[in-house]
Amino acid sequence: MNNRKVTLAAAAAGVLTGAAGLSLLAMPAGAGQPPSLPNIAPETLVEQVLTSKPGAFGGTVEVDNKLGLPSIAEIPQLADGKHSARIWTDGNGKLRLALPNGQSEQTIVDDGTTTWSWNSQDNEVTKSEHKDGRKDEAKPDNAMDPATAAKEIVSKTKEFSDISVDGTARVANRAAYELVLTPKAGEKTLVREVRIAVDSELKMPLRVAVLTNGTAEPVGQVGFSQINVGPQDSKLFEFTPPSGAKVTTPEAKEEQQRHKPEIGIEQALRGENPQIFGTGWDTVVGARIPADAMTQVPAEAQGLVDRFTKKVSGNWGSGKLFTTKVATILIADDGRVVAGAVPEQVLFDTIGQVK
Amino acid sequence: MTTSTSAPVTAPTTHAVAARTKGLRKEYGSTVAVDRVDLELPEGAVLGMLGPNGSGKTTTIRMLLGLVRPTQGEIELLGQRLPDGVEQALPHVGALVEGPGFHPFLSGRENLIRCAAFEPLLPKKQIKQAVEDALERVGLAQAAHRRYRGYSLGMKQRLGLAGALLVPRKLVVLDEPTNGLDPAGTREIRKIIAELHEQGSTVLVSSHLLSEVEATCTHVAVLHRGTVVAQGELTELLQAGGSALQVITPDVETALGALRQAKISARPLGEGLRVELAGTSAPQVIETLVKAGVGVYEATRWKTGLEELFARLTEAEEAERGMSSVDTLDGGRR
Amino acid sequence: MITRQLGSEVRWMLRRPRTIIGLFGLVLVPIIISFGIWTASDEGGGGPGLAAILKGNGMVVPIFTLFLSLNLLLPLVASIWAADGLAGEAQHGTLRGLLVAPVSRVRLLFVKLFGLTAMSLFAVTLMAVVGIIAGTAFLGTDGMMTLSGTTLSTAEGLVRIVLFILLVTFQMVSIGAVALAVSSTTEHPLVVQAATMTTIIVFQVLGQFPSLDWLHPFLITTGFPGLIDVMRDPIPFGQIWDSTLLAGCYLLIGTGLAAMRLITKDN
Ligand SMILES: Nc1ncnc2c1ncn2[C@@H]1O[C@H](COP(=O)(O)OP(=O)(O)OP(=O)(O)O)[C@@H](O)[C@H]1O
Ligand SMILES: [Mg+2]
Repeated sequence: MNNRKVTLAAAAAGVLTGAAGLSLLAMPAGAGQPPSLPNIAPETLVEQVLTSKPGAFGGTVEVDNKLGLPSIAEIPQLADGKHSARIWTDGNGKLRLALPNGQSEQTIVDDGTTTWSWNSQDNEVTKSEHKDGRKDEAKPDNAMDPATAAKEIVSKTKEFSDISVDGTARVANRAAYELVLTPKAGEKTLVREVRIAVDSELKMPLRVAVLTNGTAEPVGQVGFSQINVGPQDSKLFEFTPPSGAKVTTPEAKEEQQRHKPEIGIEQALRGENPQIFGTGWDTVVGARIPADAMTQVPAEAQGLVDRFTKKVSGNWGSGKLFTTKVATILIADDGRVVAGAVPEQVLFDTIGQVK
Repeated sequence: MTTSTSAPVTAPTTHAVAARTKGLRKEYGSTVAVDRVDLELPEGAVLGMLGPNGSGKTTTIRMLLGLVRPTQGEIELLGQRLPDGVEQALPHVGALVEGPGFHPFLSGRENLIRCAAFEPLLPKKQIKQAVEDALERVGLAQAAHRRYRGYSLGMKQRLGLAGALLVPRKLVVLDEPTNGLDPAGTREIRKIIAELHEQGSTVLVSSHLLSEVEATCTHVAVLHRGTVVAQGELTELLQAGGSALQVITPDVETALGALRQAKISARPLGEGLRVELAGTSAPQVIETLVKAGVGVYEATRWKTGLEELFARLTEAEEAERGMSSVDTLDGGRR
Repeated sequence: MITRQLGSEVRWMLRRPRTIIGLFGLVLVPIIISFGIWTASDEGGGGPGLAAILKGNGMVVPIFTLFLSLNLLLPLVASIWAADGLAGEAQHGTLRGLLVAPVSRVRLLFVKLFGLTAMSLFAVTLMAVVGIIAGTAFLGTDGMMTLSGTTLSTAEGLVRIVLFILLVTFQMVSIGAVALAVSSTTEHPLVVQAATMTTIIVFQVLGQFPSLDWLHPFLITTGFPGLIDVMRDPIPFGQIWDSTLLAGCYLLIGTGLAAMRLITKDN
């Protein structure tokens, strides 16, 4: 009857809807009601995870990092926060990975015979042809793909863990079991438990979360935020370097990056013969950085290292200790390096064994 | 909203009204701009709305046009009850409120074309012709191509009037239309109002120019401090207010004494005295004077002007405030 | 009737000297960018983000231009139009004229929103077209290279440009709607412009503080960077959709507030 009041009410409703929409958008995507699934024995689930063979899928992976790493302006990727990546695989080794970094993007395509890595930032393509079909060239995907990462963790630690199924969860809109690996009592590790959400149908891990002692929230989590299972467009697994892009080989690329300090330590630990001490959760990886490499570290990088490490010493010698919530790294002044998901004392005890 | 919902505010009276307000009140914060205004605008009338500055003329007009919502009271405009019927009524109303409003970067013609585009009663095809006619009517045809920015005060006022007259209207509301016009312009306005009156349109014109109102209006409403202090037909009002006899005599003292005895009120004025004719008649007054031996040289019926009426209605308080707010001559610009 | 009013509104906006000057300024942006990249073309990477792939990739110029302008220039233009739409009309006394014509207040708001949308679309498209021409002329083109390193055909590239035009226009209109709400409360167009631009800048500054991350999802400016996903291949629609929804909420709030104010306003 009253035109004006009706219009006024409609306008007010519009404002309210908008405000409600804003708060809805601001709310983190709710997990929603956990699905109800038939019970499953933990051993069966572990077995199924290890034998499952993820077929073709495409999806978006969210990496949520709360490791407590200092935010270093020079290495933004390490800082705490959320990162996302998109991943496509045909299930037969072909793979495409898109890693957005701000407004630029790194794309990695493995077309079965060649791994292409493209970076929009410098308009450069790194091309590496697989030698005799060896497949571990595409290293970065292991960390990014929850399915692969989870499989690796499960296979390496199941003997040293108490395994249980703790309810269900909804991940990327799919029903999943929560598989929980808890380090056995004797394990000297920082990790409290690892939770793996396993797709109830495909038995493919959809999310991995690492929880440490003393925190309620996962310190690190890798999981699909969206996934579509099924054959993917074959064009995704092809790559043609854009005209005008510089094409290099991985060797040349490494040459360029030699000056970066974090690469030095990483290479040392990953290098030809890392030394492994212990088993299970408290495994420690050790290596020795060649003395000349130690002295080559440029002053600014040295400064960077000094800023975020603690000077320590003991009967093993002296060095620098770098701690995060889930891992510890000890770099002795003589070039010995040990690292593991363990408290610092374990490293002090182990470093003497590094050759 | 259909017409059925907009029932007349009061029971239908014998004569049709173009607009009517009842108990109208408008508050701006603690200021009461208009209070208890019962205005009646008969169809076909030319109503002059008079009042000192700040007496609520513009506010009343803005409420009539649906621009301002009354705090209290009812309004009926062209048979529609406001605010619901405002969209049915307004197409038939042309208005010039508180000075002309146009875009400075457009020419006079372009400005009118923009106004015309929003006139519901004007078919698209007739816009051009209507604009030219309106320009011609207010004498702006020569300057129509010039930017409004460069218009003189009077030209702006004329353009505003043209905007109000784009379509034949049932009611034309003009708030101080002669503001800033030269004498010729004032005469033209007078002519336009007369034309509108002849065509049967109702006109509501607020003005400070009493001579203006006296010359063109059939009806008058006088506002003072937000309330209507008098309204009605001009002639009636003038008669009611204006019965007096001016007597020229050298014998003022004797005359006053004689009249006082006869209980006739009078006061000295100029070379004689002024006698109120309330409760008495001219022959009776003269008889009284002659009997008292007063020499009456001349006796004239006092013709009350609107000016005097206006002054009487609003003066007392104005004098207190120590300001004369009404321009009685052509100095009507504020 | 309504088309006549809408037409009149757009014509009126186009007739404003400041609109013409504004459009001229906008058109200069892609030209300057193309020219700048062209002269700097001997050095290495063109810069961060999209700028890095501009070289030899003229079709990206329109997207880069719009992406860049969305931060300040386009909100400024939208706020000017919104300011003139209601506050400017009130200032000149023309709002009264429209209301007694009569134009209902809701329709008036609709006409203003339409004018804002039409002009925003026009301005954004104009920038894009000039961007394509200038980019192609200065930088050459061979399809459109995406951030993912794939090369799209010209037709596919044009589709992306059109998509981006629509997305940017929507953001601009949303900002303009909020500016219209401000515009309905005042008679001073400059107040509207200042308020809108201050808000946009403050939002962007707030967006820089990680400690305020709970606030970020509420800021319309948070949605701007995500629009760049149009240049990835295949397009991830997640962020684009989120940004558009965010802007949609602002559009609703702005329009609703403006309507409420207009309906209750005394003129
Ligand atoms: N928007 C407003 N806010 C506050 N007060 C107002 C407003 N409009 C009018 N008034 C007040 O209401 C009263 C009547 O004003 P109005 O403009 O109606 O007078 P007027 O009779 O038109 O005077 P004038 O002859 O000067 O034009 C004045 O006291 C004025 O100050
Ligand atoms: Mg007035």
